[in-house]
Amino acid sequence: MPSRRELLRGVAIGVAVTTALGAGALAWSSTLLGEYSVMAMGEGHSGDGYAGHDGHAEHGTSGADPSAASGSTGAVNVNEVDVTSLTADPERPADVRVELVARQDTVDVPGGRAIEGYTVNGTSPGPELRARQGDLVEVTFVNESVTDGATLHWHGIDVPNAADGVAGITQDAVPVGGRHVYRFEATDAGTYWYHSHQVSHEQVEGGLLGAIVIEPASPTDAAADLEATALLHVYGGQHTLNGRVSDEHVDAAPGATVRVRVINTDQGTAAVWSAAPFRVLATDGHDVNEPTDVDGQRLLIPAGGRADVAVQAPPEGDAVRLHVGGARSILIGDPEASAPPTPQPAETLDLLAYGTPTPLSFDPASADRSFDYVIARRFGLIDGRPGNFWTINGRMFPDVPMFHVREGDVVVMRIVNDSGDVHPMHLHGHHVVVLSRDGDAASGSPWWVDSLDLHPGESYEIAFVADNPGIWSDHCHTLAHAVDGLVAHLMYEGVSTPFTINGAAGNRPE
Amino acid sequence: MRKIYAGLAWIIAGGVVVQAAAIAFAFGGVLNRVSNGDVVDKALLESGGAGGSGELGFWIHGIVGGVVIPLIAVALLVVSFFVRVRGAKLWAAITLGLVSLQVTLGVSITDVPYLGLIHGANALAIVLAAVIAALRMRRTPSRTRAEEATSDAVAA
Repeated sequence: MPSRRELLRGVAIGVAVTTALGAGALAWSSTLLGEYSVMAMGEGHSGDGYAGHDGHAEHGTSGADPSAASGSTGAVNVNEVDVTSLTADPERPADVRVELVARQDTVDVPGGRAIEGYTVNGTSPGPELRARQGDLVEVTFVNESVTDGATLHWHGIDVPNAADGVAGITQDAVPVGGRHVYRFEATDAGTYWYHSHQVSHEQVEGGLLGAIVIEPASPTDAAADLEATALLHVYGGQHTLNGRVSDEHVDAAPGATVRVRVINTDQGTAAVWSAAPFRVLATDGHDVNEPTDVDGQRLLIPAGGRADVAVQAPPEGDAVRLHVGGARSILIGDPEASAPPTPQPAETLDLLAYGTPTPLSFDPASADRSFDYVIARRFGLIDGRPGNFWTINGRMFPDVPMFHVREGDVVVMRIVNDSGDVHPMHLHGHHVVVLSRDGDAASGSPWWVDSLDLHPGESYEIAFVADNPGIWSDHCHTLAHAVDGLVAHLMYEGVSTPFTINGAAGNRPE
Repeated sequence: MRKIYAGLAWIIAGGVVVQAAAIAFAFGGVLNRVSNGDVVDKALLESGGAGGSGELGFWIHGIVGGVVIPLIAVALLVVSFFVRVRGAKLWAAITLGLVSLQVTLGVSITDVPYLGLIHGANALAIVLAAVIAALRMRRTPSRTRAEEATSDAVAA
């Protein structure tokens, strides 16, 4: 028979264990997200806490606008604009009309082995779309057999919010048998790509993507005689160039300039280099002002990013090898000639000091908002799932900041990477200009990006004009990182969304 | 409880052996890929598949090191409070401390490769701590048994 002391100890242990288990279960269940709207995210620290001296708080009191506070509460009021109404002119007829059909299918990888993935119009990558600057593009997207549902996001094109293609924010994922029409004006000439933004870490890796090129309004603007697209993607561990496990050849006359549009659709940084000098004509669809020859350096393109590179064809009977993304290359010049591979230079081209400065169209010094986006990592639970997750400003998803802006605001953001991994940060619907890195001010051409690599320990100051109303994702394009919480949103005052994540429509944007 | 404690400690020690084997297998796969002319770059690393035939090694190293061993180390510390053997709590705590350090080092290696030197050495420290913890269950005479005997005597 146990003594009273042992009985007491037994009861105490029992109570302690039960309390601990109960508290644990409660804490665990409190992390379950269930169905939620992004509008409910970031409550309690809505911009104010992250704004600088001239941030949200001051802005809110500067005018007598009664709707001034609506953005920060997330409450629906009569002045609110639904994301679905933020469209291109519905009356305007389309100049380019395309139908894209997505299938969950075996992807044929010429030169390699086929993988189970996704196709667009029967292939992966899908067809390259071409439009001219100013065209109204209308894409009818049909989901024939993608069981999780799918969408199309126009990566790098500053489309109206309704056409942004983010499941659960700007639309419901298109179910099998469903269709969705995307309409936008091709405003900025450049190199872009489209991809699904539903379960994107699986669907993008599996190949639900393709290139889209917007040509300059007047052909004379083109700074090249020839051009080629180099879409990089890894299919099941196989590096491909435009979907093939092989290098390509561009037949160019001696002295001709070839514009190579490099698109990094992968989850990590891609390197571009050559034994011959090359020029970087554009980054993320924005021209570099007066680019100079790059010699003995490599260009790094972040995941999701693009770069237009100009290479001059060598004299008769010779060829130049442009390495694109480590494993593949493009030979430019005489179709009979070849060129040996060149080791990758250790030195990286610094785009912060490349090209010639030219005034910006706005003044970042008089910013209306300033935000911090500090990336770190710690152990915790997201949606009941334990793991080593990313944090933004010290908080874990969905408790991350919401960046509240008003149309016309000049926004300055300080992005800091306090983690041990590279993060290619991608802001939807806007292009940002880099002001400084680790305190060093930009000294070259304005460096415009929509996808920016942050290496461990780096700190960037960027600026943009809030000129495209809506609710915009601002996330890491190493898409598995977005699944693990590296996603925040830019929220325009007075805009609301009827769509939800994890609801009946099955929206899972990451 | 002593058996459970010793069992958990031995599993941790064995887990470290699995870790060493798995990572060697994985890097064998990487070198094999590279020597066959393949390229291992950031794009490949992030989408998986860099390890080629040794890819499973990376997966095992991640799951066993990031999930299995830490959970067992926590369980060992919890169980240690129910084992009345001198040093049981101390060695469970030391083991858990070393495991936490090991995981932190592991996720920071990409940023600071030199940490790999400590990561490898610390693995042996974990084996040592776990084995000492397990062996304590054998050598030390149990205070529990002595107490039980006392209470039995009183009851009788």
